[in-house]
Amino acid sequence: MDVWYQCEIPYPFVAQDVLDRAPSVRASLPNRYCDPNVAADLFEECIDEFLLADELGLNVVAIEHHAGINSLLAANPMLVAILARQTRKARILSLGTLVTLRPDPVRIAEEYATADVISRGRLEIGFVKSGGSESASSNVSMIDNGERYWEAIDLISKALTSHDAPFSWEGRHFTHRHVNVWPPCYQRPLPRMWSATGDASTSADVGRRGMVHTLVLRGPEGTRAAFAANRRARAEAGLPPSTTDRFSYAALVAVGETEDEGLRLGDKLLWFLNTSMKSAPQFNKFLAGVAPPQAAPMIYRTKPKADTNAEAQQAASAMKPSVGGALIGMTAERAIAQGILFAGTPDSVYKQIMDLYDFVGGYGHLVMIGRSGFMTHAETEKSLGLFAREVLPRLKEIAAVQAGLDQRWSRGPVRK
Amino acid sequence: MQPRIEQVAGVDLEILRAGAGNPLLLLHGFQHIDPRLAIVDLLAREAQLIAPSHPGFGRSSRPADFGTVYDLVHLYLGLIDTLPPGPLTLMGLSFGGWLAAEIAIKAGRRIDKLILVDALGIKVSGRETPDILDVFNAHPEDVVAKSWHDPKEFAPRYDDMEDDELVTRSRNWEALARYGFHPYMHNPQLKRWLSNIKAKTLVLWGASDGVVKPAYGEAYARLIPGARFERIANAGHHPEIEQPEALAARVRNFLAD
Repeated sequence: MDVWYQCEIPYPFVAQDVLDRAPSVRASLPNRYCDPNVAADLFEECIDEFLLADELGLNVVAIEHHAGINSLLAANPMLVAILARQTRKARILSLGTLVTLRPDPVRIAEEYATADVISRGRLEIGFVKSGGSESASSNVSMIDNGERYWEAIDLISKALTSHDAPFSWEGRHFTHRHVNVWPPCYQRPLPRMWSATGDASTSADVGRRGMVHTLVLRGPEGTRAAFAANRRARAEAGLPPSTTDRFSYAALVAVGETEDEGLRLGDKLLWFLNTSMKSAPQFNKFLAGVAPPQAAPMIYRTKPKADTNAEAQQAASAMKPSVGGALIGMTAERAIAQGILFAGTPDSVYKQIMDLYDFVGGYGHLVMIGRSGFMTHAETEKSLGLFAREVLPRLKEIAAVQAGLDQRWSRGPVRK
Repeated sequence: MQPRIEQVAGVDLEILRAGAGNPLLLLHGFQHIDPRLAIVDLLAREAQLIAPSHPGFGRSSRPADFGTVYDLVHLYLGLIDTLPPGPLTLMGLSFGGWLAAEIAIKAGRRIDKLILVDALGIKVSGRETPDILDVFNAHPEDVVAKSWHDPKEFAPRYDDMEDDELVTRSRNWEALARYGFHPYMHNPQLKRWLSNIKAKTLVLWGASDGVVKPAYGEAYARLIPGARFERIANAGHHPEIEQPEALAARVRNFLAD
């Protein structure tokens, strides 16, 4: 198993009473609450942590979020470019530029190709469907988001694999008359591609395309269902079964010398859920194009009726848990039970990772969100160091095998 | 009076028909026309009311390759072609007012009378002053406060609605975003063509409309040759719901004129 270090570079330094009063801590919170001096210090510390992860044998992940306390990474390619130049061994996953919200996928392909060349072939390209408050920040509606997602990915793939360009593209959502990416990608035919999604239909597409399928903080049940949809789609299409290195899981991870220390750090990581997810109704449950209309009886009312029809309940249950704020108010114990947080001593963190592994049918990549909220630089480095020394070697021994729940497989040494 | 599904230009269109006499084609705004609304009976006394639900709204289908105001305009030009020759009134509410203005330009003399009620569709103020409240980007409580003269009485109460009403509402919301998200609820080119409207035009506005203010309506009216502008007291963005009698009375007078 490979492990990827991720930090969203959150900005927690806004007074709690301001956050309590604000209807949303994303998109609409005025940027006067963000001090660029403090932001500069945060970037300094967090980029150093990425470089430490590289030294310790982890890969790294750059994400993107807009206009909120949850992340200062409004422009993914900027961090990707820094990591491409400053890391030495790590593979770099962009997860990712928000492709459905950017008007020009060709520009994204240019950014990726350049980063791949700068890193001499260490780039991996991840796609997220985005949504929520980022729709407002990016001035884009969520209508046909799924269609734009795949068309953008198709166009980027073609741009990165065309080594005798130019070509032209006149699609439903994007047009570009003269695509000719200089420099072309370092890796051939193109960098490995990832997709972050939890819904069954996109999971099936990801399976058929053979991309790395990653779930972010989705917990055991949702992850198991999404991976199953992926595997089922491959089987139905007559494609060979995927190995575990086509599956990934992202969780908050904190390691301490004692159980208490790990849990205390885990609690700090939960700031991400408990504070940074607060979002106004127009950016989640009433955002047009996100929930299927059939789900409305479950989300329009202040409290769903007990006798709401089954179709509505099913439609609503397929939604991201963040819609409607279902993750807010999480304790470390509950977050561990729900597979959102892996925290404690190295032994218990390893066990939590592998319990989920068993439950969902295996995954070959763990994306660890290692710093959030008020966690300090020193705490982050210590937790990361412990993880790299005590947990990583055990995970590295787990070789890729065929993924799935219906087969027996060996994943190496028996856990302690 | 129940709407029926009719085939128009390859679309299964839900159309509410009521009353007799010269046709009045009513194009709805953010929500499709609920047949239980008082305005339906009131307008049916004045004309042969034809009230379609736009594709994607109500029970109207929306073909996969149908999704812009351009499509809506051409659909309704097709619907107008099915009507017998003779006087025709086109009336548009809010978003439907935008459609009505576009159609009136294209249909030329075929439309005799045009009634715009709290209509959207044009850009009036400077580039840093939005004319139309962004209902997708504003807090729902803010949208309610600005939409109604008397929100306590008239704002929809989701907790009291049936499941299927909420599903339709959500469907309407999605369709509205599809047609009107960008540029937000207007066509930058529309303003320059309003002077081509041949129909006799009445522009009506809820005096308390906070979604799009009466001053916008006055500007709209000034751009249409000979258009008359009138306010409706004690109404916000939806006079057809808050003041149906007053709205119907203005329509009656205008049709008799």
